[in-house]
Amino acid sequence: MKRFALAGNPNCGKTTLFNSLTGSTAHVGNWPGVTVDKRDGVYKKCAEPVQIIDLPGIYSLSPYTPEEVIARNYVLDEKPDCVINIVDATNLERNLYLTTQILEMDVPVVVALNMMDAVKKAGDSINAKLLEERLGVPVVEISALKETGLKELMDKAYNESKKTRVGSTVLEASPLAHLIGDVKIALKGQNVANPLFHAIKLVEEDEIEVNMHKETLPMVEEFKKTFNDEIFGSDFEALVADARYKYISSNFASVLSKKSKDTTKMTKSDKADKVLTHKYWGIPIFLVILFGIFHLTFGEDLLFLGKIFSLPSLEDLGLLNEDGDPINFGVRFLATFYDGAIMSPGVWINNVWNDLIVGEIFGWLGGLVEESGISPWAVGLINNGIFDGISAVLSFLPPILVLFLFFSILEDSGYMARIAFILDRMFRRFGLSGRAFMPMIMGFGCSVPAMINTRTLADDKERTATVRVIPFFSCGAKLPILTAVAGAIVAFFGVGNADVITFAMYLLGIVTAIVCVLLMRSTTLKGETPPFIMELPTYHVPQFKNLMAHLWDKTKHFVKKAFTIILASTIVIWALTHFSFNWTFLEDEQVNESILAGISQLVQPIFTPLGFGSQLGEFGWVFVVAVVAGLIAKENVIATFATLAACLMAVAGLNFGELAIDAEDGIDAVQAMIQATGIKVPGLIAFIAFNMTTIPCFAAVATAKAELNNKSTYHWTLVFWLASSYVVAAMIYTIGSWWWTLFIWAAVCACVVCAIIFKDKLFAKRK
Amino acid sequence: MPIVLAPTNKVLRIVRIAADEKTKKHLENLGITLNGDITILSSSGGTVVCKIKDGRIALDRNLSTHIFVA
Repeated sequence: MKRFALAGNPNCGKTTLFNSLTGSTAHVGNWPGVTVDKRDGVYKKCAEPVQIIDLPGIYSLSPYTPEEVIARNYVLDEKPDCVINIVDATNLERNLYLTTQILEMDVPVVVALNMMDAVKKAGDSINAKLLEERLGVPVVEISALKETGLKELMDKAYNESKKTRVGSTVLEASPLAHLIGDVKIALKGQNVANPLFHAIKLVEEDEIEVNMHKETLPMVEEFKKTFNDEIFGSDFEALVADARYKYISSNFASVLSKKSKDTTKMTKSDKADKVLTHKYWGIPIFLVILFGIFHLTFGEDLLFLGKIFSLPSLEDLGLLNEDGDPINFGVRFLATFYDGAIMSPGVWINNVWNDLIVGEIFGWLGGLVEESGISPWAVGLINNGIFDGISAVLSFLPPILVLFLFFSILEDSGYMARIAFILDRMFRRFGLSGRAFMPMIMGFGCSVPAMINTRTLADDKERTATVRVIPFFSCGAKLPILTAVAGAIVAFFGVGNADVITFAMYLLGIVTAIVCVLLMRSTTLKGETPPFIMELPTYHVPQFKNLMAHLWDKTKHFVKKAFTIILASTIVIWALTHFSFNWTFLEDEQVNESILAGISQLVQPIFTPLGFGSQLGEFGWVFVVAVVAGLIAKENVIATFATLAACLMAVAGLNFGELAIDAEDGIDAVQAMIQATGIKVPGLIAFIAFNMTTIPCFAAVATAKAELNNKSTYHWTLVFWLASSYVVAAMIYTIGSWWWTLFIWAAVCACVVCAIIFKDKLFAKRK
Repeated sequence: MPIVLAPTNKVLRIVRIAADEKTKKHLENLGITLNGDITILSSSGGTVVCKIKDGRIALDRNLSTHIFVA
């Protein structure tokens, strides 16, 4: 099968084109650096099926960050049959800079002029025919988004792939031509593939190239001595860059005719940036937007209208019967979005999903199983083990999706890149560049892509520090733990407010991350913060199709996980709680004699300083089980709660009093745990904190291992996660239980800070 | 003068880039080259947003004090 590679600047629409060509739904976002690894798909509308490879965006073939190396190596080493160079027509000159370098290789090239619709909309025009003549390779106008010109592009590329092409350079007219020619002949003599390309990179003193052709280097140096330029001196790479840009602006840029000659005119994007990246207003605006997102997702009183106008509750309106249930289906539906306050869209969707859809379906399924006449243990396994576990996990799908939708909107509009910019100044104080913000915010969705995305960071130590703190940015799978435990605290103890507790826990994760980064960057991972250089993409209205593709991907991933790894875990946990060490079947009431209880009770004392260890009495081990299950996948924590709650409820002598407990509901399951163990609020908060900051799920650990590509760094990362979670949770529990321990912790922190400063001074002196 | 002090909305020419090799190369790839044009769009507290060719690029304080224009 023929292979075509898509190459181009970051954020020029490669992945959009890739999706259009192959029908995939790869992640697209409006900021540079979304794609950090190559991926492939198949295009079927040519004479024969063609493999399309989407590469990370690159500004040039001299890489700056690890993901750029991937793109360069692919084009050079894997030798695709054709390179489709995507050029963002709205920024022609800069994009053609890469084109001039790709043309130097001996590979067929087709240039795709993308975003032509935006150029035409601005009233400008590009003479593609003229550009084709001057570049010497086919040029096709396309719009990857509107899917125009794709067929023509692929046909041309297919045609070109049958030919062979010898590299050509725009530097022929420059004073360096002679030098490049000599090096090329020397490399050709050594049978190097792509001699022209390597010759130029060697003259530019490209780091990778210099290491590859050590033996040719002295000769190049010799040639270079005979050369001197008055502006650039012996700075050859600057000279080459200048020669390229000069050639581009005099030969290629003339194909573009602009409607307005005024080059200093502000665009709409520039005007928006005046406000959104404002020196003082930038950060407050960002915080308001962030709060708005949380309010629209979790707020049970939209815009606080209920409080302001003191709206009547359903009970006041006489719409509930004496049991507190809605009098008819209409009221039941009304209750999903109104009860003394209008609920935010996120809560409304959540209520509809849980009360009307998941609740009904699983209730009905449970009834079917009970009436089927199979043996009681099988009913137990299916209803209490599998159904309760899975429905508890599924019930959290709405908030995850709504939160994710808002982040997708921010991303697609182009605002994310601005946040990185306005936060850079703050991040610099912690020893990171604003660029690290991108992977961190992605961490709120899932740690796995977030860790992979750290490839956009240029500095290795900054990368390691970022990978380590990414799990502290509470991911979608940890959200159920937060909402369930917070909800239970409010319902059981009647203290606090669920969305405030949730928001506070998110903040706690962020603060922990900051403190840890500060610590690492001033001790084990010392180093200079790399400079912040980032392209700010043009703002645009989020694409509906794009947003839906993101949501669909997320849903698929979540549901798949619920029915595979989580399903398997719930069955294992159910089995371990229903068999004793001599493999006899146990009733729900005998849960304390089970294998799981036995093992967990052994390790339980370790968690005593965190508030969910030995002090909890005979059922205290349930929290330990949940933590361990969480190491496989964080959704397991709540699934485990649901499975165990079903057992606990059956235990004789356990009285839930007025509580109407339903193990299928995460919040109720946690309430059952509280009732059974007598755990206090500080212990519960410490439990959330421990889960948030400890070793993340299997998938994230494997990703961290792959991304850190250094065994000892990886092992220390595991130790780091264990230590940080233990310390954070212990701190919360002890301070929450005995306020005066605050002073002890403060003293310990002060000692650590002093020790670091003292060590630094000592080190500086010795130097 | 360094671009952090340069006037906004005026086309300027870069005369010196005082950065390490790796950073300089990256800047060149983005179009910030010696002898090239640059327009400062906004400059706040040291961080600078500039227009290079038709792209908008954000630079931190440290860099913006090391790129000199005439």
